[in-house]
Amino acid sequence: MIPPSSSDHGPVSSCSCGGLTLTGVSVHYRDFTALRDVNLTIPDCGITALVGPSGCGKSSLLNAINRLTDLIPGCRVGGSLRDGVGTELTDPTLDVLALRRRIGMVFQKPNPFPHSIRRNFEIPLREHGLPRARVREVMEKNLREVGLWDEVSSRLDESALKLSGGQQQRLCIARALALGPEVILFDEPCSALDPISSAVVEEHIAALRGRVTVVIVTHNLAQARRIADRVGVFWIRDGAGTIVEEGEVETVFGGAKDADAWRYLAGGAG
Amino acid sequence: MVSLFPASFTRTRRPGDILLGIAGGLASAVTLLALGCILWDLVRLGLPHLSWSFLTGEVTENGRSGGIGPILISTLMILGFALAFVIPPALGCAIWLSEMVRQGSGAARIITGSVDLLASVPSIVFGLFGMSFFCQTLGLGFSILSGSLTLACMILPLLVRTTLSALQSLPADLRPTASALGLSGATMIGKILLPAALPGILVGITLGVGRALAETAALIFTSGYATRWPESPSDSGRALSVHIYDLAMNIPNGSGAASASALVLLVLIVLINTTAASLAARWHRRHSAS
Repeated sequence: MIPPSSSDHGPVSSCSCGGLTLTGVSVHYRDFTALRDVNLTIPDCGITALVGPSGCGKSSLLNAINRLTDLIPGCRVGGSLRDGVGTELTDPTLDVLALRRRIGMVFQKPNPFPHSIRRNFEIPLREHGLPRARVREVMEKNLREVGLWDEVSSRLDESALKLSGGQQQRLCIARALALGPEVILFDEPCSALDPISSAVVEEHIAALRGRVTVVIVTHNLAQARRIADRVGVFWIRDGAGTIVEEGEVETVFGGAKDADAWRYLAGGAG
Repeated sequence: MVSLFPASFTRTRRPGDILLGIAGGLASAVTLLALGCILWDLVRLGLPHLSWSFLTGEVTENGRSGGIGPILISTLMILGFALAFVIPPALGCAIWLSEMVRQGSGAARIITGSVDLLASVPSIVFGLFGMSFFCQTLGLGFSILSGSLTLACMILPLLVRTTLSALQSLPADLRPTASALGLSGATMIGKILLPAALPGILVGITLGVGRALAETAALIFTSGYATRWPESPSDSGRALSVHIYDLAMNIPNGSGAASASALVLLVLIVLINTTAASLAARWHRRHSAS
């Protein structure tokens, strides 16, 4: 069972039970196997980057962690995914809505709801039981967290879609943080942004270290090296994606043992 | 966003382009002319009859004299009840088709097929059905209730279709985003998707209102001819369109009052359309990027 979530909305100051242990994880879409035999330990409060060519199942893995795979017709997840206190996340009886509150997600394309900035916080916060009177305080705290408060505080009732792409993505990060998650999954959060916005978003993701467990899929190898503690390299083996190399960032970038991973990282670094 | 190249026409001086420009201009003039003729005719024949007492007065001499007060009230009651009856099932059906069943599944195909078939049924058939089912089988008699229920059936497919396409044209990633925030299906639909689809739904309602106000055939058999003040939804009440039809076809020297009534009907439709448009504009200011 899920332990009762903390009443404190927003990133907790000291991290606990936010690590993940993945054992033999596979993801199948009907007859197609996207991911096979993934073993990965995601450390509590660290930043873990997942890299590799497109189509290696990195996003599928993220979707399996917060059970978005449940929403895809014909999708099955095998193996075991356990959180820091040993809860099996693939358990069909698990309350997935509570799970997704604990494991937040930020997508590639910034996707604020087509409502006011305030409503973007109000809807999820009220859904998870925050009293209306506290919404503004939690919203402000998390918008400050991503450096957006001063830019938007005077127009909280305007459409969130009026913000720039980079601002929208920071809003999405703040919205995910507002639910006080233990883990946030980032699926290529910077790849739809211009270089300057991308750098700002990256800075705020890096600042989450020590407070929230971060798993980030990125095609930007330099970014992975800059912000991550650990990195997992995905590759296709026997027609399905899997992790071929995993470890501390400098160890893996310094000299991957797997030949494909080595070439991929060397090419990207060079 | 405003395009840098707002006119896509090439604007060269080639004879073909010049000819095409003239033809396009003439065709547009015809459209304007059609509207102009209708308005001119209605204003010329109807305006002398229009007055405050015409709008509020009782119908006398079968409509040749007096006003259209009870008819306006009946019309608004029929319209109001029809909308109240049609909006909940139309939204429910569209939400079910868009969000709850898998696209292309057998159930979805049967329902969309039925909606399209219902949309192609002529209104006179709805009138006959309404008379036999609502008036006789359910015992509602010739009444505002029977008329509005019949209109609700008639508008239903239109509203389902417009709501469905409004929901389906929303960005696809709203749904996984809502799920990733741990929102329930009810919250996602009620607080995110439906508000976002509101302008499309409003367009559907406006079209439905237009069809309902224009409807004669389905109402003659159901809400009836009575020209007295309606006291309750179970009273018979004559709709404005039925009144115009009756004045024009059955009442000698009724054409002046018919034109005045038609003018009122037109103004009513324009009022409803502009209200809906301003609501949609207000929505756009609050929700969209531009």
